[in-house]
Amino acid sequence: MIDNLVLGFSTAFTPENLLWCFIGVLLGTVIGLMPGLGSTTGVAILIPLTLTLEPVTALIMLAGIYYGAQYGGTITSVLISTPGEAASVVTTLDGYQMAKNGKAGSALAISAIGSFVAAIISLALLMWLAPPLADLALNFGPVQNLAIMILGLVIVVAFAGGSLSRGLMMAAAGLLISTVGVATGFSDARFTFGSINLLSGIPFVEVMIGLFAVGEVLHQIRIGADAPIRTRFRDMVISRGELKRSAGPILRGSGIGFVLGILPGAGSTLASFMAYGIEKRVSPRKAMFGKGAIEGVAAPESANNAAANANFVPTLALGIPGGGTTAVLLGAFTVYGLQPGPRLFETQPTLIWGLLVSFFIGNVMLLVLNLPLAPVFAQMLRIPYGYLYPIILLTSFVGAYSVSNNMFSVVLVFVFGVVGWLMKELDLPMAPLVLGLVLGPLFEKALVQTSAIGQGSFLVLLQSPISVGILLFAVLLMAGPKIAARFAVRRAPRGTVAADDAVRQPERDEAGR
Amino acid sequence: MTAAQRGGLAASVVLAVVGVAAVLGGLGYGVTVEGGEIGPGFLPTMAGGLVAVFAVLDAVGRLRNRRDAPSQAELITATTSRPEDGVALADPADPGAATTSTQSIHSPLDADAEEVDIFGRTQRQRNRMLAIVLGLVVATLVMVQVVGFLLAFVLLLFVIAVFVEHRRVLPSAVVAVAAGAVTYGIFVLLLRVPLPTGLLGLI
Repeated sequence: MIDNLVLGFSTAFTPENLLWCFIGVLLGTVIGLMPGLGSTTGVAILIPLTLTLEPVTALIMLAGIYYGAQYGGTITSVLISTPGEAASVVTTLDGYQMAKNGKAGSALAISAIGSFVAAIISLALLMWLAPPLADLALNFGPVQNLAIMILGLVIVVAFAGGSLSRGLMMAAAGLLISTVGVATGFSDARFTFGSINLLSGIPFVEVMIGLFAVGEVLHQIRIGADAPIRTRFRDMVISRGELKRSAGPILRGSGIGFVLGILPGAGSTLASFMAYGIEKRVSPRKAMFGKGAIEGVAAPESANNAAANANFVPTLALGIPGGGTTAVLLGAFTVYGLQPGPRLFETQPTLIWGLLVSFFIGNVMLLVLNLPLAPVFAQMLRIPYGYLYPIILLTSFVGAYSVSNNMFSVVLVFVFGVVGWLMKELDLPMAPLVLGLVLGPLFEKALVQTSAIGQGSFLVLLQSPISVGILLFAVLLMAGPKIAARFAVRRAPRGTVAADDAVRQPERDEAGR
Repeated sequence: MTAAQRGGLAASVVLAVVGVAAVLGGLGYGVTVEGGEIGPGFLPTMAGGLVAVFAVLDAVGRLRNRRDAPSQAELITATTSRPEDGVALADPADPGAATTSTQSIHSPLDADAEEVDIFGRTQRQRNRMLAIVLGLVVATLVMVQVVGFLLAFVLLLFVIAVFVEHRRVLPSAVVAVAAGAVTYGIFVLLLRVPLPTGLLGLI
């Protein structure tokens, strides 16, 4: 463990990696606070920019965008009651009220502090939990891996909310898209319709940029403009009493966030709603909730940050992304030629530990950035969307072009942009599609190997105790959080009812950024 | 049946057709190979079949008009608009009131045509804006072949800002040119991406 940490620190502390970590968290903060730009979109747009970097540097930056966005999303929630990130939705309830009472500074400060504490706690847990989990997964053969992938797909679908058939439909559609081109192990070109461009398959980055960046822009045009920003900002001071009141919520929020974040697909939005609901129940100042209670800011903000980190447990240890953004990050791994999964801890220790340690550094940077500078970031909100979205379009298309220097990529981005927009309009969840697309090739490989082991039969899936256990676990996880959410709400009669319902939805939403 | 339901139904039908086509294609590639192991057609057939089955189930569900679990957007609306929390939904008269811009708090296809945003644009006008932007993007992609990538997109930025968003001409031009310059700096100079220069071959 100590060796790994030393390795991580020596990797993350190079000037280059520190610089890109800083760029990542800075961009993440900005992206997080821009309404209409979320961490998933941000990571998708910026993958092309990182292609010339070392994989570890690139991932440090992309991950920085992800957790940086968790900080940035808070600023808009508090100042204009407009969550920049889905995970910050619940922060608007008390955060905006605090701002109205002239306590915007305290609200922003406590969320930065809470986020930081939660990040450190969850990072320690992540470092402690992920390696043994990866070790365990290393013993898995194709049969168990197949079971794990089924688990991942099923869970993401379960959390995508709304109609189950729609989620399964999109997951299958993702798998189907992944079969375009020549598959590894086979020599046949599938669904290429004679196009040379399609021989190598439908490239991941272009699909992500299309779905998340262009699709979001088209969607935003249609839902209309936001209210402009009119917020006065006071200094970032926080009283000792406020800190004291927030300690409990921050610790509880971190715990809840980590536990929920670790479940593939559960996501940080769910965590923030749960943390708020629970805090409202246990707090001695129940009546203050919704009227500007600092606990109502501290708890969900800690929870969403803890969940963001916990998301990396299944992502790194199993190769199953925990949420929408980690699904895109996982796609980035494959773009750099890295095979996601438990083997990474063995084959790429420098990358894994460098990345994990960079989270620590990045969160320190974010705390330092956000405590005094949140008002400065808030100025970014004055950029009119009429300028912003054409720039997002430009960045999306030029980024896609630069991946393979091919106009075909640009056309793909446009096509998937329209698809993404339609999916948003029609309420079709994106996370299952993305996961199906990312897992497709691995899934097919595991299918082929499993069928080889079983001589054409998939019954071997039910002969291995581990794979049976994993499949049962999938069922349990699907039911578990719903029961937990119900439990959390039953004792909070008013106020968190909507949160209860919302927990069924976070994944789709997260991927929809 | 609302427009949204019709759209959803159409999407399900299209996906069902795509799924069936994929199954047929997959069968053609060979589901199994010698020895009974799976072949290149297995996953396409399986995935296509699942798409078709679930699309049909979804279409049936929509036809029955079964109320789904509310979407996150609706829930957020419900959460943020509870009056006892003193947070109101976006109100043109109260800038800064709650609105969840990253969510579709309006269900656009169902939206009341009279509903206006802060610039007084109706849903109908916004629909037209979307159609115009889509058309402009297609036109830009064609223009790339002629004037080159950067010039075409700088022009797109300018045209959207001025003619679609009704921003003032000078600031729009500055923003468009600046965005083009930054893109040129990062992608052409720094990353050495050979952006297409088109027939004119300018930049």
